[in-house]
Amino acid sequence: MASANPSREQILERIRAGLRVPAAELEDRRFEGQIFEPVQNPLERFQQECKANLMECHLAAGAQETSAKLAQLLRDLPGGEIYVQDEPALRRMMDAVADGRAVRWSTEGAPRETSQATVTLADALIAQTGSVFVSASCGGRGASVVAPCHIVVARVSQLVPDLETALRNATAEQRLEKNSFACIISGSSRTADIEKILVQGAHGPIRLVVLLDLES
Amino acid sequence: MSSAAQQFLRDAAAKSADLVHREIIRKNMESYDAAHLRGRSRFKDWETARRRCQEIKREAINHLDHYLLQFEEKVIAHGGHVFWAANSAEACGYIRDLAVSRGVRTVVKSKSMVTEEIHLAPVLEEQGIKVWETDLGEFIVQLRNEPPYHIVTPAMHLNRQQIRDLFRDKLGEDVADADPQKLVALARRKLREAFFAAEMGISGANFIIADSGAVAISTNEGNGRLSTSLPRIHVAVTGIEKVIPRLVDLATLWPVLATSGTGQPITTYSTLIAGPRKPGEADGPEEFHVVLIDNGRSGLLANAEEREVLHCIRCGACLNICPVYRNIGGHTYNTTYQGPIGSVLTPHLRGSDFQHLSYASSLCGACSSVCPVNINLHHHLLHNRRDFTAAAGSKASGRLQFRLWRIAMVHPRLYAVGGWLMRRGLRLLYGLGLAGSALDPMRAWSRKRAPVPLPRRSFRAQWKKGMALTGAAKE
Amino acid sequence: MARKVSLFVPCFVDQLQPEVAVDAVTVLRRVGCEVDYPDDQTCCGQPAFNSGFWNEARPCAERFLRVFRDAETIVCPSGSCTTMVRVFYPELMGAGPGHDEAVAVGRRTFEFSEFLAKVMGLSDVGATFPHTVTYHASCHGLRELRLRDEPLKLLRGVKGLKLVDMLRCDECCGFGGTFAMKFENISVAMGEQKADSIAVTGAEYVTAIDPSCLMHVQGIMGRRKDGAKTIHLASILASER
Repeated sequence: MASANPSREQILERIRAGLRVPAAELEDRRFEGQIFEPVQNPLERFQQECKANLMECHLAAGAQETSAKLAQLLRDLPGGEIYVQDEPALRRMMDAVADGRAVRWSTEGAPRETSQATVTLADALIAQTGSVFVSASCGGRGASVVAPCHIVVARVSQLVPDLETALRNATAEQRLEKNSFACIISGSSRTADIEKILVQGAHGPIRLVVLLDLES
Repeated sequence: MSSAAQQFLRDAAAKSADLVHREIIRKNMESYDAAHLRGRSRFKDWETARRRCQEIKREAINHLDHYLLQFEEKVIAHGGHVFWAANSAEACGYIRDLAVSRGVRTVVKSKSMVTEEIHLAPVLEEQGIKVWETDLGEFIVQLRNEPPYHIVTPAMHLNRQQIRDLFRDKLGEDVADADPQKLVALARRKLREAFFAAEMGISGANFIIADSGAVAISTNEGNGRLSTSLPRIHVAVTGIEKVIPRLVDLATLWPVLATSGTGQPITTYSTLIAGPRKPGEADGPEEFHVVLIDNGRSGLLANAEEREVLHCIRCGACLNICPVYRNIGGHTYNTTYQGPIGSVLTPHLRGSDFQHLSYASSLCGACSSVCPVNINLHHHLLHNRRDFTAAAGSKASGRLQFRLWRIAMVHPRLYAVGGWLMRRGLRLLYGLGLAGSALDPMRAWSRKRAPVPLPRRSFRAQWKKGMALTGAAKE
Repeated sequence: MARKVSLFVPCFVDQLQPEVAVDAVTVLRRVGCEVDYPDDQTCCGQPAFNSGFWNEARPCAERFLRVFRDAETIVCPSGSCTTMVRVFYPELMGAGPGHDEAVAVGRRTFEFSEFLAKVMGLSDVGATFPHTVTYHASCHGLRELRLRDEPLKLLRGVKGLKLVDMLRCDECCGFGGTFAMKFENISVAMGEQKADSIAVTGAEYVTAIDPSCLMHVQGIMGRRKDGAKTIHLASILASER
């Protein structure tokens, strides 16, 4: 490897040489404030942030109501293939609600460009920023970005108050050892590159929908 | 004066007088200012957040070798490759050779300032590879064949009509009413073809995380997601200074970056890539390469005073607040990194030809006041000036004038007489209507401003004439 | 017992805007200070320092420290010059004996409004100025000396004065010392933006704690024949009619 990349040792040597010079002192001031106000009511905060993020959040009481809401969402979508994370709970749900719609499962490969929507689980929900934390185990990378609509089926027990908790958990669970990809998604795709005007639906989904089962 | 400096003065003069440009930038910045203020109000203690980010980056930079090695080890364990590039040529060479050997014909790129720094696109295009900038702002300036205007909002200088015309000419589709929604939809349609056809996706990295062997990429559009999901090869290009110790550090850095860059609580897609696809994953690239670029950064480490310049997280806040930037715009800098951070950094990365950037500042300090990692940017400009004049030695422009000036300033009578002569002389000159003319030593003032006041008596003269006891100035 | 104050008059105030210092003396005496003026002072060295010629600035600093060695309290009607002494002298003097002296003298050096409002705790200094006034927050005073409220507190204590807020009052006026000449066009553009902000307020006067800002803004407004006039804070506070 050394011969394939001789600069590696040279760069490391330059870094080490540079760092022999001690760092300048940091200004000695006390900073004991909390960076963020602690999240008091995670569910309420999550819903507020979803709204601000232009996401949709639908609450459901139990598996049956969750399925019913999913069915409703799918009915309102234009016809076409749905890409679904291949996972027992989603298999059961889709059996009940697919209603003749073509389904491509994540075990069959990447989502096709023609997908109308994707349906996945999540690793966590984050109240502070109204975010959905997904990883490769939630149906892969494309599942949360290729189709114009991404539906996340989540449980309230997955809701954590803030980014710090979510990232600590991810570290403890070694999420990035087990997955090559993870993403904290906080809204529908958007851009403000034209005159700083917010336009939704740039390259990613224009709709991000969270179905939240309050009883699990 | 270097030719770059002369060009800078010409471009700055032209842009400063361009009132249309002034108004576009003013509107954009007004919108940013409001969003930024709202964003900061979401923090309970913004100063503690800044301090925390400063501490994280300080820890990373002061143990740079340790954290880079930890990062490399993990990336390799995940099945990725890490290439250390000393300079632009090595970095471009590696990526070019990789693309050629893998038969790559199309590349999709998400925004990366470092790929601008190393001028990667032309190197690939020389091989007949088509490179698509997928960030909308970058896509727009790429079509116009010009560099990005701003590190966060590359097409800030254009209005919707100009973008409509550009799309009509280059993409062959006319969005008659120039509606931004339709313009975005057009760009999405065109770029989708590229995303699905490309064999290689190239991204930058906002941060590289040592404890996870992961690259963090923040985007709002989703182009960073598609570029790193669809093609079979993903190359992440990054400066060596982007490393942070732990994944959990992002709990502070992500919100701070988003707030400073656009005023958002967090960017829409905060993505973490920790390697090529794993067995069992539905999709993802088969190959993952990280190119670590030095290109002068390690040189800054040895300078304890300047080392903190490497803490920069490229948020763009200093550009947004800088009144010089607001008047001359991004292109005038003629460098990859613009605004205050660019003015501090570029002379170190590209040499003394760019020292004029350190002088093109009123040292107002607004930049330092907004920097989310507490870099004392305007003080670094002072240090650059000091080091430059020391290095230039006797050839430093102004050395003779300041030597004479100093002699006057340490001799009070000389100072007093010199001051009196100056006022007298200018009063005479201006009395003859020669203010602003070639004979006026203050013409750099009087050309475009009403002449400076020229009182008959200095304060010192008035004091001597009797203010000492009564405090009344006798005229 | 009267407080002893030594006046530090910036070189350009001494030469070009002496009324600022005259008015500062009036106010300081009115509030009971005994004012002296070490008349062998010249310049704090900022122009050379800012241009990178620290070896030419250092003799000025050494001189300043000698001239003001025995001063109990030093007051200066300029944020940028006060900054030079308090914030930059220690760095300029480097790691020698001059360093400690620079720190000590710096601690005794105050900008004019800082001295009145913070050190003497005053808000009403007996001034009357029945006009509309808008305030420009000069950069050094604001960001290096952290003076935001002090000048405003004093302005609010002036009888008859109507304070009008300026948008982007903390945006640099564009003077920046030699910057105004070396980068004339950028400086003028910045000054024009400041003059626009002033014009929007409709105020009769614009004031600040830095005379150089006012001189620059006056240059721009004078050329454009804008309506507003510039006046230093000291002159407002000295006014009794």
